[in-house]
Amino acid sequence: MTPVIHFLNVLLPIIYLGTFSVYFYDFMKGEKKFVNVKRLFIFLTLFTHLIYLLIRTSEFDHPPITNVFEIFTVLAFSITFSYFLLELITDIRGTGPFIIIISLVFQLISSLFIADQIVVKEVLKNNLLGIHVVNALLGYSGFTISAVYGFLYLTLYNDLKHNRFGLIFNRLPNLEVLEKLSFYSAVIGFILLTVAIIIGVIWLPSAFPKFSFLDPKLIGTGIVWMLYGAGIFTKFFSKWRGKKLILLSITGFLIAIFSTILTNFLAHSFHSFY
Amino acid sequence: MNLLAVSINHKTAPVKLRESLYLSENEVRELIKKIKNKYFTEGLLISTCNRTEIYGIPVNKDITHLHLQKIITESKNSTTTSADSFQTFISRDSLNHLFSVIAGIDSMLIGDNQIFKQVKDSFQIAEEMQFAGFLMRRVFDSALKVGKRAISETAIAEGAVSVSYAAVQLIGKIFSNLNKKSALVIGAGETGEIAAKHLNDKGISHLVITNRTTEKAAKLAEKFNSYVVPFDKFKDHLHKYDIVISATSSESILIKKQDVEAAMKKRGYASMVLMDIAVPRDIDPASKEINYVFYHDIDSLNIIVGQNVAKRRKEIPKVKIIIEEELNSFFEWYNSLQSAPTIKNLRDHFDAIRAEEVEKNINKFSSEDREKLEIVTKRIINKILHHPIVELKKTNETGTGAEEAATKMGIIRSLFGIDTPESKENKT
Repeated sequence: MTPVIHFLNVLLPIIYLGTFSVYFYDFMKGEKKFVNVKRLFIFLTLFTHLIYLLIRTSEFDHPPITNVFEIFTVLAFSITFSYFLLELITDIRGTGPFIIIISLVFQLISSLFIADQIVVKEVLKNNLLGIHVVNALLGYSGFTISAVYGFLYLTLYNDLKHNRFGLIFNRLPNLEVLEKLSFYSAVIGFILLTVAIIIGVIWLPSAFPKFSFLDPKLIGTGIVWMLYGAGIFTKFFSKWRGKKLILLSITGFLIAIFSTILTNFLAHSFHSFY
Repeated sequence: MNLLAVSINHKTAPVKLRESLYLSENEVRELIKKIKNKYFTEGLLISTCNRTEIYGIPVNKDITHLHLQKIITESKNSTTTSADSFQTFISRDSLNHLFSVIAGIDSMLIGDNQIFKQVKDSFQIAEEMQFAGFLMRRVFDSALKVGKRAISETAIAEGAVSVSYAAVQLIGKIFSNLNKKSALVIGAGETGEIAAKHLNDKGISHLVITNRTTEKAAKLAEKFNSYVVPFDKFKDHLHKYDIVISATSSESILIKKQDVEAAMKKRGYASMVLMDIAVPRDIDPASKEINYVFYHDIDSLNIIVGQNVAKRRKEIPKVKIIIEEELNSFFEWYNSLQSAPTIKNLRDHFDAIRAEEVEKNINKFSSEDREKLEIVTKRIINKILHHPIVELKKTNETGTGAEEAATKMGIIRSLFGIDTPESKENKT
């Protein structure tokens, strides 16, 4: 099965690029005939990606969550899947290219550097870890989508303020919808990250008896969690709205990305498994 | 097909002349009474503020476009028209023009969505006045199909092409729906009324109108089941409105930046849309500097209108393809009304029924009788069809009007279900 895994590993960025291209072309042209083609493309991409993840899990005898490049491919899948659900539920189809490009980047990095890891550390063979990682990844997918909608909100806001009535004005949903999408994605992300943190805290002492609460990953995650928590709190209790909340969401996303890079490539952390 | 048409419209005549020739519904009905059977066996009369048009199948060959022009000018005693004021069409060109009109590509406002209803109403009047016969009914069906296809298959009617509607379109990019929003319309003139109508149509929850003359505001408010605020008090309530549309003839600024700032503070900086569609402007343009205030004046709205008009123009070739397809479809049907194909189809139709029944019952006859059965049934069919076929051939030979002949063919086809969708389904 390894040759199939290698083939799919090369194929996945290509089909993500294809899906992104269809979404992008539709965004530029706005022709009705692409409406259903887009959905077919995204469905086929997700299906192929799911097959890849299942084969990989079966062949290497562990879910692909043991190093950063395995996590990137799961993250690409989870972001696209979350967007797909969002598109089905809300029927808002104009924002796809802005989200799928992020999945494309994650998948491309994963495909370039992922290795056939057969032996994994003993500490990673734990069911709690699986639940912890799945929740964390879905949580970060929520934050990614929230940040994208936040970015689109700010772009449309500025366009409306400065009388620019171009593609952004014509294709995107209205400001209220973008704000809601950004906020609810952040709320879902926050809940899932909270679950991931709770499980992590339960599991951590048994897996790493010598861990420190000053670990960069824990600090980074803590800051992200607090930022989103503060944002949700202020929305409900201090009536914060619009740009302030959106900027908070985008900052949270950037810190999450920075924290991941720092933990896995630069700083020494117990959380770095690669 | 000898379908004559004349049109006086925005391309051929100035507004003054077009207005002078406008016919009300009653005048249209009166005119149809006068021209029916005298000039035309069947036809259609369309009159809107931008065009007056007559289509008709003439009673004889002597009726020309000049008669049609005369009918229009005499109906309103107009002395200022000349031959140049009219466009004239015949046969396929007449249909092409009608299809272009109903699809909105001949309108002053490309893709105008009112023209479809206006033409449809004209069809209705022609039907009621029994001015629509066998041919014109088919023309109406094809024209309605063109209009519907143009709307559903192209973007010819999409996007706002008036300033008031562009304002509402822009509001739709800020708020997701208006049924929880409140709006203030300042000015109860024509523009204010159109803006109030658009907001009302979009389901605005709370609509308030203010005007220097309170009676005028009250009259407009009554029309839209909305409320009135006195003109000298509206600034005190500014914070209550998510949308403010101003369209007065005031020479000076009515709402200053400070007024907007105070209102925004009171409403906790919840988004507020200010649409200034007055010239000169009513609202201080510096208001746009305030966070969450979306200020737009007539210039910015005109950008949207211009973009939408350009988009609609790009759709014209697509509409023309639809028109061409429907013209071809119409004339395919019309040409099938010629006698030779009709006679052949009629024979084939009856023979198919005969053959089917013979086949069903063939086992009830001995092998010797089967040949006789064929001969007898064919003879019956020939006798039944003899007279209708002779009549059909005679129509052609005696040179009866082509339209009358076509009508007869059409009736025969319709009565026996030849080449109707149902008959085609049955065959398959």
